[in-house]
Amino acid sequence: MPSKSAGAEYIKGLWEENPVFRQLLGMCPTLAVTNAVINGIAMGLATSFVLILSSVVVSSIKKLIPSQVRIASYIVIIATFVTIADRFMAAFFPPISKSLGPYIPLIVVNCIILGRQEAFSSKNSVGRSLVDALGMSTGFILALLVLSSIREILGMGTFLGHQVMGAWFKPWIIMILPAGAFITLGILLAVALVIESKTKKRKT
Amino acid sequence: MELITLFIAAILVNNFVLYYFLGICPFLGVSKKIDSAFSMGLAVTFVMTLTAVVSWMINHWILIPYNLDYLQIVSFILVIAALVQLVEMFIRKISPPLYQALGIYLPLITTNCAIMGLALLAALKDYGFAKTVVFGVGSGLGFTLAIVLMAGIREQLDLADVPEPLKGAGIALIVAGIMALAFTGFSGMIN
Amino acid sequence: MNLSARMIVVLTTVGLISGSLMAVVGMLTKDRIALNRQQEIEAAILEVVPGTDTSEELFAEKNFTIYGGKNRDGNLIGYAVYTSGTGFQDIISLMFGTDPNITKINSLSILEQKETPGLGAKITDKELFLKFWDNKNTGSALSLRKPAVRSQDELAANEVNTITGATISSDKVLSIVNQSLEKLKQIKQAGKLISEDNDAE
Repeated sequence: MPSKSAGAEYIKGLWEENPVFRQLLGMCPTLAVTNAVINGIAMGLATSFVLILSSVVVSSIKKLIPSQVRIASYIVIIATFVTIADRFMAAFFPPISKSLGPYIPLIVVNCIILGRQEAFSSKNSVGRSLVDALGMSTGFILALLVLSSIREILGMGTFLGHQVMGAWFKPWIIMILPAGAFITLGILLAVALVIESKTKKRKT
Repeated sequence: MELITLFIAAILVNNFVLYYFLGICPFLGVSKKIDSAFSMGLAVTFVMTLTAVVSWMINHWILIPYNLDYLQIVSFILVIAALVQLVEMFIRKISPPLYQALGIYLPLITTNCAIMGLALLAALKDYGFAKTVVFGVGSGLGFTLAIVLMAGIREQLDLADVPEPLKGAGIALIVAGIMALAFTGFSGMIN
Repeated sequence: MNLSARMIVVLTTVGLISGSLMAVVGMLTKDRIALNRQQEIEAAILEVVPGTDTSEELFAEKNFTIYGGKNRDGNLIGYAVYTSGTGFQDIISLMFGTDPNITKINSLSILEQKETPGLGAKITDKELFLKFWDNKNTGSALSLRKPAVRSQDELAANEVNTITGATISSDKVLSIVNQSLEKLKQIKQAGKLISEDNDAE
C-alpha cells in the first residue's frame, strides 16, 4: 500500500473515513450527548484526548506487547486515559460532567478508540498514529457539532445557550428527545451517502 | 414492589436502547433477522445480569471501602472482558450447538456499551444488590425487546422500496426514532 | 524470556503504570470533587433557607437528608430537606426549606430532573412553577390546583399551581414534597433532629 502523506492521513478522518458518518462507529455517544452543542463539544474533546494519547502510547510500545495480550493492554491503557478525563471534568467542570453523566466513562467502550488501536496504531509509527488520531478526532468532533447544532437550534432555538431563532419560532421538542436524535442521524447518514455518490460520479 | 416497578421501568420507560442510547452498534448490526436478534438479546441479558452482580460486588466490597473509586472504569471493563471470555468458554463446553448459534456475537458483547453502561448506571444510581440484579435483568430484556422489534420491522423493510441513500443504517435509525417516540408513551407509568 | 513470562511481565507493567497514574490523578482531583459537591449543596440550602450562614447535617438516610440552616449567631432558622423520587421520565432531585417549626415551606428548588423538555422540564422554572411554592402552609398536605390559575392570590394557602401540559410532572414533585414533609415532621417529633451545639429543637 502506498504510503500516505501526513496531510492525507489527517484529512481522511474528516470525511472519507469519518468515524461516525462513514465508519458508523461511536454512535452511542453521538446520539446521547448531542442534545446541546456544549455537550457535544465537551464529549468530542474528551474523546479526542483519550484517542490521541492512547494512539501515541500504543504505537510507542507496540513492539513490546505480545499479540495475545494486546487487547487487554489496549483496554487498560484506554481506561486509564478515560479515568483521567472523567476525574478532571468532575473536578473542574462539574456542571458539564453532570450533564454528560455516565457517557464520559463510556468512552472506554467507544469502538472508535479500540478500533483505531487495532487497525492503525499497532501497525504504524508514532508520528503516523498521532496524525491518524488527530484526523479521526476532528472528524468525530465535526460529526458531533453538526448533529448537536441541528438538535439545539431546531429543538430549543438556541446555539451554545444563546437564542438564535426569533420569537416566531416554536421549538421542535422532538429534537431534544431520543427520537429526534435517531431520526436526525439517520437523515445525516443518508445525506453523507448522497454526497459521496455524487462526488464519485464526478470523478469517473 | 419497588423491584417490580424498577423491572418494568427498565424494560419500557427507560429502555436501554431507545432512552439511554446504549447498545446501538449491535442494535443496528444484528437486527436483520429475528432469530439472530433474539439470540443476541439473550446473550446480552445473560452477560448483563452477571455483570450487574460482579460489578456490584467489586464496587461495594473493594472499591468503596478502600477509597479506590477512580479504579471503577478500569475494573468494570476488565470484569466485563473476563466475564465474556468465561461465558464463551462455558457455552462452548456445555452446549456446542448453542455456541455455534451465538458464534461471533459473544466477543462483540465486550465493546457493547450496554453492558458497561449497566455497570456504570447501577453504580451511579447507588442501587442495592437486589435492585442492581433486577436492573440488570430488566435492562437486558429491554434491549432484547428493542432489538427483536427492530428485526421484525427490518425483515419487512427488506421487501419495501427504500431510497438508496437510506438503505441500511439510515432507515434503521429513522425506524429507531419512531420506536423511541412510541416508547415515550410509556413514561409516567411508574409511581 | 519465554512467551508466558513475557505476557505476565507486560500485563503487570502496564497494570502498574496505569494504576499509579490513575491513583495520582484520583488523589489530585478527589478534594476538588468533594468541594464541588459541598458547594452545590450549600448553595441550594442558602436558596431555600434564606439568611443561612452555616449549615449542619442533622439527619441522613439513603436518599433523604435534613440540614439545619443557622444564621450568623448560630441560631437555627430553618430546615432544608434534600431528597429525590420518581418523576415522569426519570428521577427528580429536589430541596425545599421550612421554618424551624415546620409550619410553612420557604421555597422549593429542583436540583436534578430529566423530564420532557419544554413540558415537564418547566418544573425548574421560577415563574411558571416554583414561585407558587413560596410560603405555602404545611399544616395539612399540599394539593395541586388544576387547571392552572394565573395569579398566586387565587391559590389557597396549601395549594400549588400545576403546569399546563405537565400535570404528571407537577404531581410527582408534589408527592415527593408531601411525603418528605410527613417524614420531616415525624423525625422532628421523634426528637432526632438534635444539633451538635445542643440547640433547643
